[in-house]
Amino acid sequence: MEAHAAHDDHGHMPVANHSANVNREWLGMVLFIVSELMLFGSFFAAYFFIRVVQGDPWMPEGQELPLYVAMANSAILFSSSATMHWALEGIKHNNRKALKTGLVLTIILGLTFFGIQISEYVHIGFLPKDSAQASVFFSLTGLHGAHVVVGLIILMVVANRAFKGHYGPEKENHWGVEIPGLYWHFVDVMWLFVFTTLYLL
Amino acid sequence: MAASLRSPGWYRAAFSMAIGWVVAFVLVTGLRLILGWDQEISWESITTVSLITVPIAFLYGIGCMDYWLYWLSGKPTKVDDHADHGARKWQDYFHFNTDHKVIGIQYIVTTFFFFAIGGMLAMVFRAELLQPGMQFVDAQTFNGLFSAHAALMIFLFMVPVFAGIANYVLPLMLGAPDMAFPRLNALSFWFLPIAGVMMCLSFIVPGGAFATGWTAYAPLSINAPIGQTFFSVAAQFAGSSSILTAINFLVTIITMRAPGMTFWRMPLLGWANFATSLLVVLATPFIAGSQFMILFDRALGMNFFDAAQGGDSVMYQHVFWFYSHPAVYIMVLPGFGIISEVISTHARKPVFGYRMMAFSLLAIIVLGFAVWAHHMFVAPMQNWIRIPMMLTTMLIAVPTGVKIFSWLGTMWGGVIHMRTPMYWAFGFITMFVLGGISGVMLAVVPFDIAVSDTYFIVAHFHYVLFGGSLFTIFAGIYHWFPKMTGRMYNETLGKWHFWMTFISFNATFGPQHLVGLEGMPRRVADYAEQFAAWNLFISVSAFVLGASFLIFVYNMVWSWRNGPIAPANPWHAHTLEWQVSSPPPMFNFDEVPTVVGHPYEYGVPGARHGIFKEPEPVVATVGAPSEESAAESAVGDDETSTTDGDA
Repeated sequence: MEAHAAHDDHGHMPVANHSANVNREWLGMVLFIVSELMLFGSFFAAYFFIRVVQGDPWMPEGQELPLYVAMANSAILFSSSATMHWALEGIKHNNRKALKTGLVLTIILGLTFFGIQISEYVHIGFLPKDSAQASVFFSLTGLHGAHVVVGLIILMVVANRAFKGHYGPEKENHWGVEIPGLYWHFVDVMWLFVFTTLYLL
Repeated sequence: MAASLRSPGWYRAAFSMAIGWVVAFVLVTGLRLILGWDQEISWESITTVSLITVPIAFLYGIGCMDYWLYWLSGKPTKVDDHADHGARKWQDYFHFNTDHKVIGIQYIVTTFFFFAIGGMLAMVFRAELLQPGMQFVDAQTFNGLFSAHAALMIFLFMVPVFAGIANYVLPLMLGAPDMAFPRLNALSFWFLPIAGVMMCLSFIVPGGAFATGWTAYAPLSINAPIGQTFFSVAAQFAGSSSILTAINFLVTIITMRAPGMTFWRMPLLGWANFATSLLVVLATPFIAGSQFMILFDRALGMNFFDAAQGGDSVMYQHVFWFYSHPAVYIMVLPGFGIISEVISTHARKPVFGYRMMAFSLLAIIVLGFAVWAHHMFVAPMQNWIRIPMMLTTMLIAVPTGVKIFSWLGTMWGGVIHMRTPMYWAFGFITMFVLGGISGVMLAVVPFDIAVSDTYFIVAHFHYVLFGGSLFTIFAGIYHWFPKMTGRMYNETLGKWHFWMTFISFNATFGPQHLVGLEGMPRRVADYAEQFAAWNLFISVSAFVLGASFLIFVYNMVWSWRNGPIAPANPWHAHTLEWQVSSPPPMFNFDEVPTVVGHPYEYGVPGARHGIFKEPEPVVATVGAPSEESAAESAVGDDETSTTDGDA
């Protein structure tokens, strides 16, 4: 171990070669999203086994899902993807006002979605333990809700920075908006699958 | 004291862990008060919640989150001054560090620590199995012992030790100054001691350690004592660790290779970790999912697995094995990479069929996702799944066979230097072929049903995991020991270690095939009189096997302190990690090298893998053995016939 010390005089960290034309953080986020997809996949597997393999009714008698509330809520969440995209396009064209407004709108829409989700839980009339279907319903929507919360925290940090004048139109200067945005779009697209399988099918 | 509480380290970690526990207490008790549930303090719920809050507090205390919290606060991020890079004294290995070389050593030492604990658990239950009847432990403790043995060996040793070796070697091999995300890398490491300590702590909680096997089949695990929760949460931490590391490896391999290093010029260890990491990213979330369901059922009263409420316990097995079969490849593919490096270097031959070696890795990961139900041939699943799963399982022997024959082809006509890593490589090939053959036997549905849950299964997976994976780990540790420590290990002790392990390993697990075929069930504390003789033999061999590990530890510790100073390139290898000093400088390379050729052109006159632009030839940069090594490799060149390495 002493030998490590001998090398301390070696000065600087060399710049790593870019052997692929992708941003490292962006690629890392894409791979993380892939693993998240698989995590959701394991719960969809539970859904599949209960509904398709066992052939149980979805949902059981007396446990109705509020379809129209969820539809309105989905519209709210999907529109937040549009505002997020607007924010990113804004900073790409150095439109700081669009960046800030877009981020704030996205956060408001996300918070609204989350609030309606909580109120849906409270008023839904059954508990996770009441049936296997209810367990799957609460786990999948809850897992998605946890992702919404994480996304909101990240977006708030980004918004805070945007108001402080960070980020710029140069390519390497708005990764801090683009990568959180990618995560947010993932949260929205995931909801499309969760909503379709749980409420529509 | 106040200063040490503000700066990252063990004081702050201990303090924040206490806070974390208080948070769990207040959260649970407060919620129960508000919701008006029964007023008694629920220690079980508090323990469950504290299994999440205390580790997170520990991670904060040790310093894993300082930079991110700084980022979250919205201050402008500063350029990293690398203050937490590199180890200057041995205490640095016990602190948060972002240097991949330090993290690699941390990984390897930590995982071998838990390997030793897992091994000692095996010694205890082998003592119990020394003769029929109940001797030292009761049945429940016995179940806890083998469960913790398997869980520690799989989640805390096999999977992460490969991540450790690759952490150290891979960036060097690729010509990168570090991993792509050094802070994430450090976080992934610190998940591991959390998971390991949690699994070990389950022995002291009421009800004893988790006793449902490492598979934690539902619904058995739903009603088990609190120790089961320790397993499920620890598996989450270990799983997160491997997912984050895998993402890190993938990004490093894709974006940080040295100029000129195309995928087809990448050393096979890089390919192996590329394939493994893909597998981890795709499969490991499924064990997270399965353990989430267990936790939800246990802690939140959900009903994923309660048939009375419409739950499906066979679903647990599907979800679990959808991860855990690929996990078998997660535990061996990096070893394939290590063996390719070791054999090629010590046999002075280019890897035979380099491209097929890479393609077979990819074939294994694709097929690996289509075989999970062969673990469930006796489970009440749909009959039609069995035959397709049998065929895909047998098919997987083809890419594996391609690798075996390529290794043999690599050695054919080479100048084989019988150093310790090569011993382990030979041991690996022979033992892994035996384990692979019993694997194909087990793929056959009727045979599998006949020997299901007998010692034949135990023998099979110890041949692939111990004789296979662990032998590759030892090969890798000995091979890169000079690079990691700057010292040479003791060859004589290394060979003693090999022979003692090899012989006692076969004496331990070989006979288990026989008692298994005769019907001795696994995971049972007592057994019929007819198996007594073999079990006595197995137990005694197992103790010798355990003792052989002491030679390894002694060799490693002694050589690290007193071994002869290692030259930069003791094996005259071509890959980049050997072109820098041993141990490498703090940032690996002063200048990123340029790759000009294939990594294994041994015996090809004048062949170079990587060059340094300045100050000129490789040897000048490292300042280590120059004339001598050049002369020796020239001799090696003459001895070795130039053959078709790169098919």
